[in-house]
Amino acid sequence: MSIYRGPIGASSIIALSATVALVLAGCGGRAGSGDGNGDEASPGITDDSLALGVITPLSGATAAQGNCTVAGLVAYFGDANDSGGIEFGDGTTREVNVEAFDDTYDPQKALSAFQQNYDSVFGFTSGLGTPTNRAYREAAIDEEVPQVLVQTGDPIFSDRDDSPWQLGFIPIYQNEGEAFGSLLAEAEEDLTVGILSQNDDYGEGYVEGFKKGIEGSDVEIVGEHTYEATDTSVDAQLTELAATEADVFFNAMSVAPLVISSIETVRELGWDPSWFLPSNTSSPDAILEPSQADPEDGFYTVSFAKAPQSPQYEDDDDVVEFLDNLETYSSAYTTSPDYPHCMWSYMVGATLEQAFSDMTEPTRENFMEALSDISDFQAPLMLEGTSVDTTKDGQPAVSEVVVQRYNGTGYDNAESFD
Amino acid sequence: MADDADGARLLDFLQRKWVRVALAGIAIIVLVAAPLFLPIHTNQSLARIGVFAVSVLGLNVIMGYTGQVSLGQIFFLGLGAYVTAYVVNAEWNIAAVFLLAVMITGAAGLIVALATARLGGLAIAMVTIALPIVGVPLAKRMSDFTGGSQGTSARFSAAPEWSKLDNDQWQYYVVLVIGAITFFLVYNFVRGKYGRALQIVKENEAVAGSLGISPYRYKVLAFTIAAVVGGVSGFLYMVVVQYTSPETLSFHHSIDLLASMVIGGAGSIIGSLIGGIYYVLVPNFTNEVAPTLTSLIQGALLLAILFMLPGGIASLPQLLHRRLSPGRAGGFVSQSASTGDPPSPASTKQSVSD
Repeated sequence: MSIYRGPIGASSIIALSATVALVLAGCGGRAGSGDGNGDEASPGITDDSLALGVITPLSGATAAQGNCTVAGLVAYFGDANDSGGIEFGDGTTREVNVEAFDDTYDPQKALSAFQQNYDSVFGFTSGLGTPTNRAYREAAIDEEVPQVLVQTGDPIFSDRDDSPWQLGFIPIYQNEGEAFGSLLAEAEEDLTVGILSQNDDYGEGYVEGFKKGIEGSDVEIVGEHTYEATDTSVDAQLTELAATEADVFFNAMSVAPLVISSIETVRELGWDPSWFLPSNTSSPDAILEPSQADPEDGFYTVSFAKAPQSPQYEDDDDVVEFLDNLETYSSAYTTSPDYPHCMWSYMVGATLEQAFSDMTEPTRENFMEALSDISDFQAPLMLEGTSVDTTKDGQPAVSEVVVQRYNGTGYDNAESFD
Repeated sequence: MADDADGARLLDFLQRKWVRVALAGIAIIVLVAAPLFLPIHTNQSLARIGVFAVSVLGLNVIMGYTGQVSLGQIFFLGLGAYVTAYVVNAEWNIAAVFLLAVMITGAAGLIVALATARLGGLAIAMVTIALPIVGVPLAKRMSDFTGGSQGTSARFSAAPEWSKLDNDQWQYYVVLVIGAITFFLVYNFVRGKYGRALQIVKENEAVAGSLGISPYRYKVLAFTIAAVVGGVSGFLYMVVVQYTSPETLSFHHSIDLLASMVIGGAGSIIGSLIGGIYYVLVPNFTNEVAPTLTSLIQGALLLAILFMLPGGIASLPQLLHRRLSPGRAGGFVSQSASTGDPPSPASTKQSVSD
């Protein structure tokens, strides 16, 4: 290949850089160092509208879940806006608009999206992903921009001292593992458990919670293995676990295709344990059906959201309205709630509305105060026995979960383990 | 044909030495003064462009100039970032942090190169693929050093008191100075005798051997320099992003870097800069257009650019030059133009064959 290094030589490097700088300068001058005193409205909020940003993966490997994190939110506020807007605590009715930014699950792009947009939106919410949310956590603290009700199980977002401008929405991993552990402990039987977990904070969190749940009970762990999130096969670990013939298989796995192949492999190995699957990899449509999971085996997961797929909730008012809104407003993202993130982001919308209705000043500070004072709030789609509570330090907005069992099409609440 | 004549006159004007010196001077003033007036997020974008331009530059050394397919460049950026984060958090002096980040990535590059440079063609591509693929689980597992999958942040690039600058301006200047020095060093490297040797290794290893140029040694050299430059970009990444996680060095970013290099122009210094601009600004742009279609738009853009400019955007002036110069239309710049010396007007004429 011939390479050009001709008439406009080395100086062109400098010239090009300068040109880019000049072109970008078209965006406007340098803003004064206005810290914005209490009375002044924060960016992204006017008398008619409020803009929310969602930084989430809309393309790439986690795009399916990422699109859900926007879809539910857009559905909720789309409906609210069309019904006249949302009444804020200061007496003003505003439209709430959602702006999504694709970070492709790349921390650097997430930070970039934050930096490019934090002065045009009121705050960021609902975004999926631990590394991507972490990438702009400190920048959000520096700039005093809300980064709230984000969809990560990382506990740091719910630590009020470390993260004053953050709040997690979904239960942390430990909450989920512990709920299932407690269910086993309550069965008061001699149960054996095989554990397979992802070798990172995700898997460790589940296992830690599970062990806490079974503490002092007759439940015994007879095999414990880990795998890497990048592994394409866990057959070796499954074979060893199958040899233990454990009654229960606690599978703390976050990679959907691996879960499907695990279910198939375990069946081929002639091992028929009861299963525990984490909430984000237990979808009936995306995981259990493709792997032809037999509901007789007992597939347990935890949830705090009503599953629209379940016949039990077919005629549920919340579910009907949710599906309707999703269909009407979210076609740009997804209209089929294959992942629970769709329901979660819908609840995020409802929780935000609660905070908005308590906001007496159009400022970010006032919003954070209002947001951290919600308790016993039953958002639409929430299961009986769970609620939003933002007042507990160290806990995300939702920290209670209900154990559920697969029934062939969806999930039913599991009162006990059998 | 009056337009063509005007164009040629313009090009001749631009070729005059004083004009070029003056233009470069103006450009430097703009680059240095710009962050004082630009909005914060623009400075942050510019700084980020610098980070990835340096990374693409490193890739260009091994791929564009030496012709060895490397799919592991992001690993060196990630390694540099992790070393920076770890040593910053151990509260070392910042100069020592920089040296260590560069030296460790250089050493890693050298070790990999010693093993892989014996392989040719696709084999070296396969080995370099392994770097990010091994790197991600390694980064997750070695959580004492890396913070595991939650990543680690290192905030050391706030503007010092005496500079009276804002953080974004300070970060921009750090990237500008380190990036400019790196570009200058690599520019000299690929233009000098090493550059010519690499060119021969790229074109024909047998010929290189017969001229007393050891292809093995030069490939190791180029690979190590690519790694060192990757380490520099990793350090700059931490200056700008201040956070790294296993996601940072995930394999598909290597492909993004590769695409940026090809779009900018393989084997071109300015192409590296354009690659950095592409890497940073195009995702911003596609997010503005339609956040749900980012991959699609980027793919279409990539195809469109490569279809119109197979040599990358850096080859655009060449194309214009050919179109605008009377009597030169349809000419091709021969191989001699790519040996590293900027052709004088006379030699350009000789090298053009109609």
